Amino acid sequence: MALFNPDSKLSDIVLSDVSVITVLNRFDIFLGVGDKTVNEICREKRLDVNFLLAIINTNVSDEYFPETALKSFKASEIIEYLKKTNNYYLQFQIPNIERHFNSFINHSINDNNNLELMRNFFLEVKRQLIDRINDDNSRWFPEILRLESSLKSSKLSLNEVEISFDDDGSDSIEDKLSDLISMLVRHLSGDYDLNLCLAVIVALVNIEKDIRQNNRIRNRILKPLTNALVAVNSLK
Amino acid sequence: MNSLSVAIILRNTLDAIGLRHIFASMFSVNASLLNAIENADASNENYDLYFTDSETFVANLEFFLPRRSKIVLVTDSDLVSSFPSINIRLEESRIIDNIGSILHNFEQTVDSHNELSAREVEVLKLVATGFLNKEIADKLGISINTVLSHRKNISAKLGIRSASGLSVYAMMNGYISHI
Repeated sequence: MALFNPDSKLSDIVLSDVSVITVLNRFDIFLGVGDKTVNEICREKRLDVNFLLAIINTNVSDEYFPETALKSFKASEIIEYLKKTNNYYLQFQIPNIERHFNSFINHSINDNNNLELMRNFFLEVKRQLIDRINDDNSRWFPEILRLESSLKSSKLSLNEVEISFDDDGSDSIEDKLSDLISMLVRHLSGDYDLNLCLAVIVALVNIEKDIRQNNRIRNRILKPLTNALVAVNSLK
Repeated sequence: MNSLSVAIILRNTLDAIGLRHIFASMFSVNASLLNAIENADASNENYDLYFTDSETFVANLEFFLPRRSKIVLVTDSDLVSSFPSINIRLEESRIIDNIGSILHNFEQTVDSHNELSAREVEVLKLVATGFLNKEIADKLGISINTVLSHRKNISAKLGIRSASGLSVYAMMNGYISHI
């Protein structure tokens, strides 16, 4: 997909990939955007255009990696976004999947033990995701913010160091969500309610895509930034 | 996404990007661009197919000869060779057809049967019960690389990668009764 630029209309972006709606929500941009361009909405909401575009383009294109813009982003900006993303998982996406799973299991004819096994597997992924979010909030994010503010008080800048890029491999949360989708699509047996099953699959596909895109932001933007902050702070 | 793993090692970056785009858009194959043979060697990854040009091939015989059954030459002429080849000067639709038949021929030669073999079931049961690769290798008297290769095949056949996902699958299918 072609990348978007500051003159792209938000409505075109959303129409090209509706999953961007949830990304825009995290910037307090909601539907009813009229004909506003990215530039216009950023001026109105006092957002960094390059940052918003990097996030949007990372979400719509698997090929995109904003290497040149990387050093211009503040870690605090990225963290703010990731916190909103984490909250979105906790408040909306996870409860939504659980609701669908419960209804799927409760309405499926006979006792289908396989469904219960899959729900337990989802609960395992949920616990893992919550643990990661707790670790973000209690350890990783505060540590990065501390490094960033310590850099501000010195004369050093990130230009002093090479930023090395981390491996962009999938993590186990991504793998497990994709396994769960695969189980439902390829290995489901016994009696079940097709419509309710579809609701579970769609909800899982949505969160899996969201987490995959956000892992790219974590692994390809925030982790290299963290490494650079550690490196530049050690120069003091 | 097709599980076929393809490496593209070409001197010309634009050719490589174009080829990767055709793989992704026409065949759902996520091909890796390797800009140097050292990267291919160091990554230790075993790709199913290597798309390369004759100059790169000749300059890196040590790397390519052990993989000769997996080579596809990317050329700019209708050269006659013992390897399957793609002529980049052909029109787009013919290039796509050529790649399609090369991929199809390759898939015909590999075991496309999706049932797990008896050995794979043994490995699956051990993974599902929580044994580590090294422990599985010791238990079955095979090398750790063989265990990894079995795991890769199991994951490709079932579409399940994580150990806990494999445990759930094993329970669903009665291979194990509990974790």
